[in-house]
Amino acid sequence: MTALTLDVRDVTKRFGDGETAVLAVRGVSLAVEPGQIVLIMGPSGSGKTTLLSMMGALLKPTDGSVHLDGTAISELSEGRLPDIRLRQFGFIFQDFNLLSALSVLENVAIVAELAGLKAREARDKATALLTDLGLGERVDFPPEKLSGGEKQRVAIARALVNDPTLILADEPTANLDSKIGHEIMRLLRRIAKDQGRSVVIVSHDERIRDIADRVLWLEDGAFKDIVTMATDPVCGMAVERERAASAERDGEAFFFCSRGCREEFLGGLRADGNGNARGLSGFIRTATEIVRRAHGR
Amino acid sequence: MSATLLLARRNFGRNRVRLLASVGGVALALSLTLALDAVYAGVASQLTTYIERAGADVWVAQSGVRNLHMVASSLPASVVDEVGAVDGVASVTPILEATDTISAGDERAVVYVIGLPASAEMGGPWEIAEGSARVGPGEIIVDRGFATQAGVTIGETVGVLGGEARVVGLSRGTASLLNSVAFVSFDDFQAMRGHAPVISYVLVRVAGVASAEAVAADIERLVPGVTAQSRTDFVAQERLIVTDMSADVISIMSVIGFVVALAVVALTVYVATLARRRDFGVLKAIGARNRMLYRVVLVQAVLSVAVGFAIGLAFTGLLAFAIARTDLNLELAITAASLVKVGLFAAIIAGLAAILPIRQVAGVDPAVVFRRGAPA
Repeated sequence: MTALTLDVRDVTKRFGDGETAVLAVRGVSLAVEPGQIVLIMGPSGSGKTTLLSMMGALLKPTDGSVHLDGTAISELSEGRLPDIRLRQFGFIFQDFNLLSALSVLENVAIVAELAGLKAREARDKATALLTDLGLGERVDFPPEKLSGGEKQRVAIARALVNDPTLILADEPTANLDSKIGHEIMRLLRRIAKDQGRSVVIVSHDERIRDIADRVLWLEDGAFKDIVTMATDPVCGMAVERERAASAERDGEAFFFCSRGCREEFLGGLRADGNGNARGLSGFIRTATEIVRRAHGR
Repeated sequence: MSATLLLARRNFGRNRVRLLASVGGVALALSLTLALDAVYAGVASQLTTYIERAGADVWVAQSGVRNLHMVASSLPASVVDEVGAVDGVASVTPILEATDTISAGDERAVVYVIGLPASAEMGGPWEIAEGSARVGPGEIIVDRGFATQAGVTIGETVGVLGGEARVVGLSRGTASLLNSVAFVSFDDFQAMRGHAPVISYVLVRVAGVASAEAVAADIERLVPGVTAQSRTDFVAQERLIVTDMSADVISIMSVIGFVVALAVVALTVYVATLARRRDFGVLKAIGARNRMLYRVVLVQAVLSVAVGFAIGLAFTGLLAFAIARTDLNLELAITAASLVKVGLFAAIIAGLAAILPIRQVAGVDPAVVFRRGAPA
């Protein structure tokens, strides 16, 4: 059995009492595995943000429990939560929420410093992270001088600087144009997969479904139907398992965007002389990676 | 630089208008208190200048008289020899002293009139700007400031002690905001008092390594009807008079300065915190503890007050420097005690000013980070 990063068990959140009580989240359960990207979609007022707040230990559930790496964080005292939020979670927000009084570097370094790193070490770590994310030339800029995409990359760096187990993203593409939004999501996916971090995203943005391993639909505070995403091992496209063409090979299920890809897969991988397979998206991957991607991990 | 200090410093300097209002308000309020303290310290210093510069180690006065200002001391002339006979006394000079006015034309000024014997070793002017340092019969030495103001020159006459005296010297450093010192001959002074065989004070110079305090104690013990004090004690007593007279005014102005500075700092730090509520929410959401955020607010308040205090001090120092270069008989003396008092004021202001903003920060919900674009 795979160890769960996040385990939300039958969580309910009620605001107010009596006749004015509002049930924002009703008996929601969710399990997120290491390295998994879960996208929660739903209309406004469906309880997405309330659920995200509970997952991030920013809000206590009325009933049910939230477990992070086996620890029931919903049961912890207020005094212990800041440390959990600091070290176990990385937050990415729609409005970026960068501290305008600080430079790009300071925005990231301060989080590492809060976690106990010395100022110099924190700055070095933040610099390395920002450089990795293509912001090496922007470290001394004030946030307001950055584009939306750059701001969100700074927010990602801030979310990652303490090596969190779980990244929680609230509408991360809402303030970005389509191209940049997709780039940011691909970046997030690469980080999640390369570093084995779990990601939970709350979004209205249909265009980012393809980066998720699972898509959940929240409505009136409860999940309506769950869509599990898989990657077509041939072309690399994200597909909904429930709707996609599928095939089994050596006891494993694979999902495809079209019959063509399925046939191609069943007929043998389009391998070149070096054992590499070229997907339609133009990426070169090893055959092993294609199979791994097909598992959504 | 720690995260706390970094955030506090950046928040502090982020809004120029707020920064100027905060620091400027504190600087003005604290310099009000500092300047007032300095004025009174200056007056006290000026009032005791004669005692300090007269050259006496011990002052002997009528029993129970411990001041020069606002009192009258009368001793029989025979006391001079009795004091001179006490062990440890090197020399003695009797002086007559009265508070009076000197006049020249329409100009009148309050003076300590000092009657000096012809052979006085102590009690005379210590710095002469023009003319003689010795006064003979019918002569007077007045402060140069008074002479300038009254248009009096050497050789002209002024009214004093109900008669007239010819100006033979102009002294320097003998004026204060309240009065100045004028020197006449002992015999003239005594004649104006009907030749009564009395003196006001005996100025004593102690011998060699003798302690002024010990000699003063011996004089009190051996000579009946006198109070003897070392110069240091006499100066301290004289200063007490000024302090007592000014205490209420200083207290009222200090309270005003305190309240103004507190209001300015509290308001600006509160507004700054209010403007950064969302940032505080973000910091809470990403794991900053409340106590760290409280420190940020407190450091901001401390920075406002510290910078304001430094500017206020510099301003008061400049004011003192500028005033010292004018003809005003005013001295601003910034004392260590005043610095400690205003510094303590400043520290208390910073602490109190941070209370309300800290309550604000405590109430910030970290979930505010999920509220779109809304002010926290």
